[in-house]
Amino acid sequence: MRTEVTLPPSRPFAGTAAFLWTEVIVQSNERMAMVTSMIVPGVILVFVEILNPALISVALVGAILFSTFTMGQRVLNEAAYLRIDHKANDLYLAGPMTPEAYFLGMSFGIMIVYLAPTIFLGILAAIVVPLTLATALLLFVLAAVVWVFAASTGYVFSTFFRDNRAIWAYSSLFFNVFGVLAPVFYPLGLFPAALRPIVLLMPPSAAAALVQAAIGATTLSPGQVALAVGGLAVETVLLFAFAIYWARRTVRAD
Amino acid sequence: MSGEALRSVDLRKVYTSRGAPAVEALSGVSMEVHRGERVALLGRNGAGKTTFLKIASTLLRPSSGSVEVFGFDIARSPEKARPYIAVVPQEGKPFFHLSPREQIYTYLRARGFSRETAKARTEDALQRMGLTDFADRLSVTLSGGQRQRTMVATVIATEAPLLFLDEPTIGMDPFARREVWASLRSLTQKGSTILLTTHYLDEAEVLSNRLYIIERGAVLVSGTSDDLKRSVGGTLKVLLPEGAAHVDRFRSFGTCVLDGSALTVIVSPSGLGELMELAVRSQLTATVGPVTLEEAFLRAVGRKIDED
Repeated sequence: MRTEVTLPPSRPFAGTAAFLWTEVIVQSNERMAMVTSMIVPGVILVFVEILNPALISVALVGAILFSTFTMGQRVLNEAAYLRIDHKANDLYLAGPMTPEAYFLGMSFGIMIVYLAPTIFLGILAAIVVPLTLATALLLFVLAAVVWVFAASTGYVFSTFFRDNRAIWAYSSLFFNVFGVLAPVFYPLGLFPAALRPIVLLMPPSAAAALVQAAIGATTLSPGQVALAVGGLAVETVLLFAFAIYWARRTVRAD
Repeated sequence: MSGEALRSVDLRKVYTSRGAPAVEALSGVSMEVHRGERVALLGRNGAGKTTFLKIASTLLRPSSGSVEVFGFDIARSPEKARPYIAVVPQEGKPFFHLSPREQIYTYLRARGFSRETAKARTEDALQRMGLTDFADRLSVTLSGGQRQRTMVATVIATEAPLLFLDEPTIGMDPFARREVWASLRSLTQKGSTILLTTHYLDEAEVLSNRLYIIERGAVLVSGTSDDLKRSVGGTLKVLLPEGAAHVDRFRSFGTCVLDGSALTVIVSPSGLGELMELAVRSQLTATVGPVTLEEAFLRAVGRKIDED
């Protein structure tokens, strides 16, 4: 018989790096999915270049923010797929790995793999957009914030579904309304004035508006800046905290 | 830490959902699994086996009652119990875009094993489960049985103190099943404890030290497979292909089961000689064999259904 072994309780975030690496391998083996992540921003950039080349800088900034935003859609799809089809939650979470490690490992793993298209867009932006060091840094920070928001949203949403087919419609609706319909690829000034406060509360369009203002493509009032920055910060922090709480809460079904 | 690997007391689970009547999946299950034991949970589909396993493995909240894993109350401190357990989920699948070698290795790393230990255990598990020939193929290209072997290999490589295996050999060929059985026996020899569900009664018989039959959310019978066989009136069965017409003469020997013109008598070894003499005198051919666990299971559960 085994001698008495006393195992320590799970440490917070235990297993994050290992699960991150797992996701990197998994996602890297799905190269076509990486290519398809470029389709929407790529098509929009081509349209903009044909229809109004003056807006290509704004569209490129939008494409970068959109690409980090849609990493959340990957998290949503992956988390739901692994839980529903593979029972990966049962395999990993009935063990020492913590639920926050599962959420963060998956999110970072997906981010690392899907960073390649974003970096490509970033290189294009550095060539085309009049970015100073400060605006480049602002774009980087805002893209990261949008990613945190999107990954948290994706993970939380993934827990509400029991059937993968049901996810596709909602996932597509959510990410297209927030990432394409809202003024992410085009200037905030082209959006109806009455509805601007609403889109400034949506993280992707708020981030886009702030970068557009920084590169001189949009004018924001101090109130609008405060709304965009405050909304982004509060929503992202709250949603990230909720995602951690929710990951722990949903380890055990009711 | 208690002497049992697992102890449940009066465990109840009621599933409720809006617009649908509540379903009582467990209605007071009490059981103990001692350290180093291999215990099988048997029961019909929907009897409550998987619900029990999910609660015991900290993945489902009980409605009432308690479960302790190595003395830790899984409702109050699941994070203390989790390092002791590993689960092969029902209908679980490996990552399709990982090879079996990557799957096992990364899982062990996620559980906190060092690179060296994870690598050594991965190779050992691949070999034990006969996966070396497919070890570097993506799981998406493997057959269903090979994927299931990968899942089992992933979990047994942990050598966790308590393993929950929900239908671990489903979809496997007879050779692979025996490899799993050998691996599970080896694990319990090292000190692990195993609680598994299965619909293969031969598997439960050769693998488990004890078994629990669950029917409609409650423990119907528990004990060894021999205990269960004895509970149906004997450990031997005598098949009389033309004996149905003579059933009254055989009733005193034990339980009689009619099937068309055939009669099967469940009998204890001490009564066998006399019964065979009667069969010869009645000019009936007779075949003697052991009562199987499946027959005992069917009778135990069938009797409960009849009573209800």
